[in-house]
Amino acid sequence: MSMTSEAVIVLGVMVAVYAAARAGRLSTELAMVAAALGGAIAGGYWFPARHVAEGAATYLDINLIFITATLFMNLLKASGGVAFVVRGLLRRFHRQRALLLAVLSLVLLVPGALTGAGSVTVLIVGGMVATVLGYMGIPKVRVAAIVFIIAGLSAAAPPVSLWAMMTAAGVNMPYVGFFWPLLIPCVAAALFTSFVLGWTGTATDIERALQELPEAPAGMSWWKVLAPFAVFLGLIVIGRQWPHATPVIGLPLMFAAAALVAWLVSPVPLRVGRLSLDTIEQLLPLLATLTCAGILVQIMTLTGVRGLMAVTAVTLPTAVVYGTLFLVLPVSEAVLMWGSAPVIGVPLVLLFNAIGLNPIVALAGMSLIWPLGDALPPTAIIGRLTVNIVGYEGPYGAFLRACAVPAIVIAVVGTLMVIYSTRLAQLAGL
Amino acid sequence: MTTTVRLRKIGFGALALAFLAVAGSSFYHQRYLPEAVVLGEGVTAVTRLSEYGESLRGTANDIHLYVLEGKAPGGTILVFGGTHAEEPAGRLAAWMLVEHATIERGRLIVALSANRSASTVTRPGAAYPPEFTIPTAWGGQRFRMGDRWTNPLDQWPDPEVYIHYPSGQYLAYVDIRNLNRAFPGRPDGTLTERTTYAFMELIRREHVDVAIDLHEAELQYPVISTIVTHQRGQDMATMVSMTLTDLEGFKIGTEFSPRNLHGLSHREIGDHSQAVSLLFEAPEPFLDATRGRTNADVLLTGKDEFVVQAGKRGLLFETIDEHGWPIAKRVGRHTSSVAQTMETWTEDHPDRGIVARGIPRYKDLVRNGVGFYLRDPAVAPAGRVVYE
Repeated sequence: MSMTSEAVIVLGVMVAVYAAARAGRLSTELAMVAAALGGAIAGGYWFPARHVAEGAATYLDINLIFITATLFMNLLKASGGVAFVVRGLLRRFHRQRALLLAVLSLVLLVPGALTGAGSVTVLIVGGMVATVLGYMGIPKVRVAAIVFIIAGLSAAAPPVSLWAMMTAAGVNMPYVGFFWPLLIPCVAAALFTSFVLGWTGTATDIERALQELPEAPAGMSWWKVLAPFAVFLGLIVIGRQWPHATPVIGLPLMFAAAALVAWLVSPVPLRVGRLSLDTIEQLLPLLATLTCAGILVQIMTLTGVRGLMAVTAVTLPTAVVYGTLFLVLPVSEAVLMWGSAPVIGVPLVLLFNAIGLNPIVALAGMSLIWPLGDALPPTAIIGRLTVNIVGYEGPYGAFLRACAVPAIVIAVVGTLMVIYSTRLAQLAGL
Repeated sequence: MTTTVRLRKIGFGALALAFLAVAGSSFYHQRYLPEAVVLGEGVTAVTRLSEYGESLRGTANDIHLYVLEGKAPGGTILVFGGTHAEEPAGRLAAWMLVEHATIERGRLIVALSANRSASTVTRPGAAYPPEFTIPTAWGGQRFRMGDRWTNPLDQWPDPEVYIHYPSGQYLAYVDIRNLNRAFPGRPDGTLTERTTYAFMELIRREHVDVAIDLHEAELQYPVISTIVTHQRGQDMATMVSMTLTDLEGFKIGTEFSPRNLHGLSHREIGDHSQAVSLLFEAPEPFLDATRGRTNADVLLTGKDEFVVQAGKRGLLFETIDEHGWPIAKRVGRHTSSVAQTMETWTEDHPDRGIVARGIPRYKDLVRNGVGFYLRDPAVAPAGRVVYE
């Protein structure tokens, strides 16, 4: 049997097992593992324990970044730091609608940018920002859309963009040069989203908003909020300034150091053990996704399915690829979540590289489009989470329609970044 | 927690433990798989890299160095395979030298596993086989399949960005564990940097004239089937390339080492020592991202339908057809290139010549296969077997 026939059969088995597992109400993560095991059996490998274990470790470093960064943000929230910042910004900017929208957009961008997870943005600052947006007279459905879209952009924003990191790792490309190609469109799209969806409303009702927002504890101050960030940035600067005189500690330990400082300067006592457990519980679905996606990718590589997808992608007419990015990326995200990066992203970047596009800018463009799929079934984890946190109780379809305008603009910008990546190459600074 | 949930957790936990036990056993056996080296008649001494970098003693990278010294004085050549342990032709070519070469004049120093740590791990997500077997008349010899990077068990964590010493050039964070991005190294740096530092010390103290780093490359990589040379080796590399293309039946080009791309052996060895530095690249379709089924068979035969399809689309920098790139051809390219380099060097530097015999060349390997040249440790003379 030819390599192609074999791989097609294994792929067919994987898709069938995945569909059956989902129909049997297994979670997306377990369905991915089931599909991987089904593919391994169909490929004649039976239960390849080594490959399952090795695949599960593929994103270990990313998981560690995820855990420590989220613990840091959770400690900051529990210490009252996040409430302090939101209340402060509201007081300062409530008379200037444009400025208030802009700073709220930036507040929404920070947690996801640091952790790589839109869900962390929604959980840490989503509720508070939604409260302020609500008192600016913006309907709940549009508030939910703003929080969801910017949460997705925050996940794509640097320094931690999991789609870019995972795809880059899959093509042996360093995760270097992504900062500006990700930051500029993410910030621009976030501002566009909040202005388009939040411009019309009423004057900000600051009294009621402040009443509803959680109180910042006595003793909280700007330096206490900024100190942990300063420690994190300081460690990065020291590592870059004196790289051969300082030990390599890695991003997870840097975030852990920032978390430690947030704990030490907190004006209220923090139950670190409890918060750590809560953090793991909060992240469990996402950690599971990364772990199970690693297993799936390993088995796809083992059986030749990844090669089949890669060679199919690199031999497709380029115009077809460009024209379907807006559909393929969000739909794959909806099905595989981050697993879509190594499965779909890797062959696409190989194609773009082969036809002379700039792979960094092209991958940055793709990273903008991927998170749009987080509101789509079958998973829709972040879309549903946003709706719950914001307290929107209307039909889910109306929420999706509210997201449509910024989503279309983001998809167009992302696609144009791919097509014109060579002209935008200077953004990568390489 | 209900009884059903508890039972489910216990069940999944037990299943996970069973998987981990089986997988753990596989990882352990790969890390400690002994690879036999039968010392050929030409090997006059076996030493350790820690002789040139004390801090390596007791680490995974305190590797063996095989010294083949001729009776007549001459120059010294260093050949190292296994810089990237996922490129087996480099290691096997070095094996051919240790088991078969005899030096009449000058000296040959060989390292089989330049980054031994990298040979003890495979890459998560890449589905590499943990080992492969080269068939021989006496049964077959097993070799570890490794990775491009130092094992994280030996060097971890990675920084957020890797800043090369001493150039200060920014490189991908993971390349802090890439031996061929860590030259010339530091005596008190990471394990990878200490390894390259020891290699540099070896080159300086032993007055090495020519240093050769053996590699393989995916067909989608533009630097392939070529000799990459430091500017001081340009004439010699060009002559080696022309002679091989004319006489040995395979094409090999030359590339000049970019002056501002740091950390690579062909750049830093030449810049920081008296040696002329060369790097040989042979084609390895197994490394291509479009490869199909990933197993030891594809690794050794180099046959891959999907890579052929990518070639038809014009995406490759080396040709490939249904015959693939068998390991014998890849190893043969390296052994012939090493042998030809010695000959060309000797013609150009008669006062520091290096004359060898017994090296299996490209045509020999293609005709007989690699296994033909691997010696049976079971019948080797006492004291003439070393394990990598």
